[in-house]
Amino acid sequence: MTREEVFDKLNKVFADVFDDEDIVVNEDTTADDIEDWDSLEHINLVVAVENEFNIKFNMGEVNSFKDVGAMVDNILEKLA
Amino acid sequence: MNEYRFEDIYIGMEEAFSVTITEEMMSHFTEITGDINPLHNDEDFAKAMHHPSRVVYGMLTASFISTLGGVYLPGKYCLIQGVEVKFAKPVYIGDVLLVSGKVTELHESVGQLTIKVTIKNQDGTTVCKGKLKAGVMTE
Repeated sequence: MTREEVFDKLNKVFADVFDDEDIVVNEDTTADDIEDWDSLEHINLVVAVENEFNIKFNMGEVNSFKDVGAMVDNILEKLA
Repeated sequence: MNEYRFEDIYIGMEEAFSVTITEEMMSHFTEITGDINPLHNDEDFAKAMHHPSRVVYGMLTASFISTLGGVYLPGKYCLIQGVEVKFAKPVYIGDVLLVSGKVTELHESVGQLTIKVTIKNQDGTTVCKGKLKAGVMTE
């Protein structure tokens, strides 16, 4: 899967979790850029990403993601 | 009360308990919520709507999902994060409900479990089904 394909899937996941079809995430997107991205939605987002890509993060990985780009790096590593 | 920690829980783990719906529960629910809809409060109206008696509030039935999480699975360290519920069949006062939950997903990264919930009456009919998402508090 290419980086672009991961972002395409992620945009669908974000749209679903935050119930907003207009959300478009990029490498630098963080929780500060999405108004509803609070601690509970963060949990929902991580679970939705795990289910979408059929992968599992560990707690340390989740805490280390500084932005969506870092999450994509990790997803691509797991899918490789 | 169970005191399961995240590491104690596994996919397929099940817990269940039974509860009898009483008149008192109905009156307390009406008092708490202010839902005075006649289907739940007026015997004649309920019968006119082709029910044998007043219909138990769906949300009263669903409230036992809180007990399932907070007392049984995982129990003491439960933090309910979300509930999805469907009311499949009516429940009546005096019904004995079997509330059961089965773990279907575990997400260690965020300490969350998903529990498939099924509530059946004394005849084995599913009256309510749903999904409970709960965190397990850490020390």
